[in-house]
Amino acid sequence: MTWIYDLVPAIALLPLVSFVVALFAGKYLPKKGALAGIAATGGSLVLSLLVALTVATSDGADTGYNETLYTFLEGSSSAPFSLELGVLIDPLSALMLVVVSLISFLVHVFSLGYMNDEGETGLPRYYAGLGLFSFSMLAFVFASNILMAFMFFELVGLCSYLLIGFWFREAGPPSAAKKAFLVTRFGDYFFLVGVVAIFATFGTGAFAGSESFPHLAEQALHGEHSVNTFLGLGEQAWFTVVGLLVLGGVIGKSAQFPLHTWLPDAMEGPTPVSALIHAATMVAAGVFLVARMYGFYALSPTALGVIAFIGGFTALFAATMGVVKQELKQVLAYSTISQYGYMMLALGGGGYVAAVFHLTTHAVFKALLFLGAGSVIIAMHHNENMWDMGGLKEKMPVTYWTFLAGSLALAGIFPFAGFWSKDEVLYETLIHGLGESPLLLGGYAMGLLAVVFTGFYTFRMVFLTFHGEPRTDVAEDPEPVRWNVKGPLVVLGVLATVLGAINMVPIKKLTDADIDFLHQFLDEAPSGFLTSVHHYAELLEVEAGYGAADIGTTGLLASAALSLGLALAGAGLAYRLYNVPEPVEHTDKLGRVKTLLMHNYYQDEYQVWLATGLTVPVAKAADTFDQGIIDGVVNGISSVSRFAGRGVRRIQTGVVRNYAALLTLALVLLVAFFGVTGGWF
Amino acid sequence: MLIEALLVATLLAAGVVFFAPDRYAGKLAAVLSLLPLVGSLWLWLDFEGSGNALLDGSEIAYETTIEWMDIGYTLQWHVGLDGVSLPLIVLTTILTTAAIVSAWTPIDERQSQFYGLVLLLEFGLLGVFAALDFFVWFVFWEVVLVPMYFLIAIWGGPRRKYAAIKFFVYTNVASLIMFVGFLTLVFAMGDSVTTLGLPEVAQALQAGGAVGSIAGFAPETVKLFAFALMFFGFAVKVPVVPVHTWLPDAHVEAPTPVSVLLAGVLLKMGTYALLRFNFTMLPDVATDYAELIAVIAVISVIYGAMLALAQQDLKRIVAYSSISSMGYVILGLVAYTTYGVGGATFQMISHGFISGLMFMVVGVIYNETHTRMVGDMSGMADRMPWTVGIFVAAAFGYMGLPLMSGFAAEVFVFLGSFDAPYLSLAPLFTAAAMFGIVIVAGYLLWAMQRTLFGEFDLGTDYEVGRAPLHDVAPLAVLLACVIVLGVNPDLFMGMIQDAINPIVNSLGGGA
Repeated sequence: MTWIYDLVPAIALLPLVSFVVALFAGKYLPKKGALAGIAATGGSLVLSLLVALTVATSDGADTGYNETLYTFLEGSSSAPFSLELGVLIDPLSALMLVVVSLISFLVHVFSLGYMNDEGETGLPRYYAGLGLFSFSMLAFVFASNILMAFMFFELVGLCSYLLIGFWFREAGPPSAAKKAFLVTRFGDYFFLVGVVAIFATFGTGAFAGSESFPHLAEQALHGEHSVNTFLGLGEQAWFTVVGLLVLGGVIGKSAQFPLHTWLPDAMEGPTPVSALIHAATMVAAGVFLVARMYGFYALSPTALGVIAFIGGFTALFAATMGVVKQELKQVLAYSTISQYGYMMLALGGGGYVAAVFHLTTHAVFKALLFLGAGSVIIAMHHNENMWDMGGLKEKMPVTYWTFLAGSLALAGIFPFAGFWSKDEVLYETLIHGLGESPLLLGGYAMGLLAVVFTGFYTFRMVFLTFHGEPRTDVAEDPEPVRWNVKGPLVVLGVLATVLGAINMVPIKKLTDADIDFLHQFLDEAPSGFLTSVHHYAELLEVEAGYGAADIGTTGLLASAALSLGLALAGAGLAYRLYNVPEPVEHTDKLGRVKTLLMHNYYQDEYQVWLATGLTVPVAKAADTFDQGIIDGVVNGISSVSRFAGRGVRRIQTGVVRNYAALLTLALVLLVAFFGVTGGWF
Repeated sequence: MLIEALLVATLLAAGVVFFAPDRYAGKLAAVLSLLPLVGSLWLWLDFEGSGNALLDGSEIAYETTIEWMDIGYTLQWHVGLDGVSLPLIVLTTILTTAAIVSAWTPIDERQSQFYGLVLLLEFGLLGVFAALDFFVWFVFWEVVLVPMYFLIAIWGGPRRKYAAIKFFVYTNVASLIMFVGFLTLVFAMGDSVTTLGLPEVAQALQAGGAVGSIAGFAPETVKLFAFALMFFGFAVKVPVVPVHTWLPDAHVEAPTPVSVLLAGVLLKMGTYALLRFNFTMLPDVATDYAELIAVIAVISVIYGAMLALAQQDLKRIVAYSSISSMGYVILGLVAYTTYGVGGATFQMISHGFISGLMFMVVGVIYNETHTRMVGDMSGMADRMPWTVGIFVAAAFGYMGLPLMSGFAAEVFVFLGSFDAPYLSLAPLFTAAAMFGIVIVAGYLLWAMQRTLFGEFDLGTDYEVGRAPLHDVAPLAVLLACVIVLGVNPDLFMGMIQDAINPIVNSLGGGA
């Protein structure tokens, strides 16, 4: 089955073909390019599944594939590194390919209901955007080196710009699209500096293998390999700097504090696009990148600590804002920020598998929740305010039950998928924190506290939307949705319920049954790649000093019970407050805190101020300076020459003949002068 | 003799078009401009040169040397191409044809003279990039100014006279200063050189000890003096801050096709000359003052971008952003690495296509709306979907989107300059210049949001329809060039690196 690896590029190229088809021929196609997109992503999904299956069933070196496809620029004796595009298949990328192509496929199907059936115009552009988005993300996932990863990371940003701004005739979407690109571009600036630094330091950007930069870095720390470091820093410090630079891109794309501000605005895009952005593409790209180069981050306890803290803080910070939002998609947006915070916390806390696990389950349940929200939005004639809904439970049972499954997963309620992954995130952070890295306990505490808020806002959303009495006429008589909406919901609903089974670590610990399948799968990477779980575990322990404490079965159960209990507490509070026939807004009781939360801690305000309150005035001042002083001097010099004498005054007469004469004269004089002094004649 | 054939064909085309009837001039010029275009592509396909034309051990392609006259120095007709000049020749011919087609709509008077001058301009530009003798080079260098002056002064906007004179005087004074600088250098070399051939001068300088003292000044001082004068002269052309103020005026007043050539090719004369003269001939001075030059580069990038941010006129935005992009070229040059100098050269080509495309697309919108002010229009995407689509693509190209040529060029420059061997604090200079990629995104995204998107609205009384095919076709061609070069930079980068390596190796430099 290893021949399937040769087809990996097709996984990305199929959606690229659908992009071209939709863009240039979509107008003439029956579904305006949707079918091409469905066929392409369906093909990608099948191929991805085959690839993942091959990885899972092969042994030894056959569990991965690392080849250069295309040399962008050949190195030479004086340019010691080549820039390449390549394919890296190992368990991590194989898993992510499946996730991305699955979500992308379902989003395409759902779009038939959300876009085509709703009579939207500009559909070829929409499907072209989706195709390009899938292409970029899939190519990013199997990127074999960091430059290629950066390239497709940027293309993902472009696609989000195009799709968030899809409804360009309105005022909001273009503004949100601009913000999304600009804020993430700010993060990507640091990422690009990091990429350049990695090439300058190691002479390669490869992710996997003995010649990869994570491995060279490891060797450099042991003095087995010499690398260039800069600015007078030692290896350890320089690697931390480089790691943090790359992290800038991660923080931007994965919407971590303080670059999370673009994500809530990005709700201006069509809802299926939100599903794609939040679950599988744009936002996932950041966290995936950290996982992809985990062998590098595992060398730097400082970088890991920063990742864990940003993650834990973001998880809590975003969850608190989700509590007061009134629009369905807004709640989901903040939940995304918060959930990616958990993944960052896991990565920083030494829980590589936990992070990948949560990335996978989150992809499923967040896509589900967004598509469910999309279904509700269709039903509500594009009104997103939860206070105008209520009582939709009876009217749209499929949406309700699947949405509920997604919500239970999001809140981390047993036995839904999110419970297992979030529990593992917290558990891993806890044991490493109790072990030799006590600082992680701070991140853990924030992550734990965020569980309460998550349970609360999730069920506030569910109750306000589906329970109680309909609060408007539209909610009384919602528009029905078709199979193309329900189908994807059912698939995702089932997955959100059962997906936790791929890695039930607590059960394994209790019963010693060998059921941590994801862990085993991720550990299968070819040993030469140095991307396996046990290699990372070794690095964490040896290089980062991450020792795990043994908290035993009791500790394990207590930890799980604690996070479940907190989630239930939050959900229970929401039940008390909002699961009533005619709920009222209780947020006024928060007083000034509500104002703070409604304004998102004034994060937008200061960032907008940085852009328009600071940068623009500085630019205007620069312009005034340029026009007045610099150009003034230029014009001044010409004025001086004008007054210098009658002959020279002609310089301003605008007769070119005069200039030509002047030039010739000057040339002759100069030649004569140098001729005489230089002994020319 | 192929270069001569190319030059003669271009000159003849200019002459024929100049006297053709106005009605046919545009189409005739487009057809005739295919001659140099096809010719340059032929030169490119058939290129067998290697090394740097100015330095030892090179195989100069299509070289001709004819002794002309002896006035103490032997003047000679010496032309030839290497991996640096050939891509610029290809750029020039493609952009000229595109610019001619894009002129069909906006140029509606004295067409034959307009197109004749454009072709004359092309003739001058081709000569500048092909010449290997100082006098030949300088003649072409000056030839370029004349058609440019008239193109701005006759077909320009309301303040065309001011802009044209400013352009002419500013760049001419700069030429003069550069001229003095070069001749000082040559005279100080005494008997080490017997011609003004650029290869001879460069190789004599490379051998070392060729520069003697002049008028009592030590050789080092003479070299510094010559370097400074030439740097100033070329810097005006590039332009770098603070000698850039002629550029926005010239661009704003120039008609679109002229702006395309001005930004696309004329600016590259400056960077090309900097590479050929300052950085090839006097690398020791360049490396001694690397930090100063890097400061100029960074200021050009950031300050130019800030100025672009302050503009309300789409054309001014693009004009100022050129200053920013040219800053990357300077940074790449001073890095003295294969990727740095090679990236700088690639950036010349890339920026030629992208800025040409940007000016052209702004021009197409102007053709329909008769305004370029950001505040005067919104929602253009509603009326001109394909034009706007190309606008968006071009703008992202300008922002350095991967798989478009700008990204390749900028990444090469950054990779090359990050560990520049002769530049202290190179990582910090590089990181500072790289911040330009954020600002460029800021002003282009802002401008697009305001003009292209939102509800359709126009402050002028014109019916906006879809642009005619002959307006959009050149845009598509240039966009295709940008994407092809972005996906496969090696089309030019291979030969560029080959021509750059001798410069880098002459210093024993690394990556």
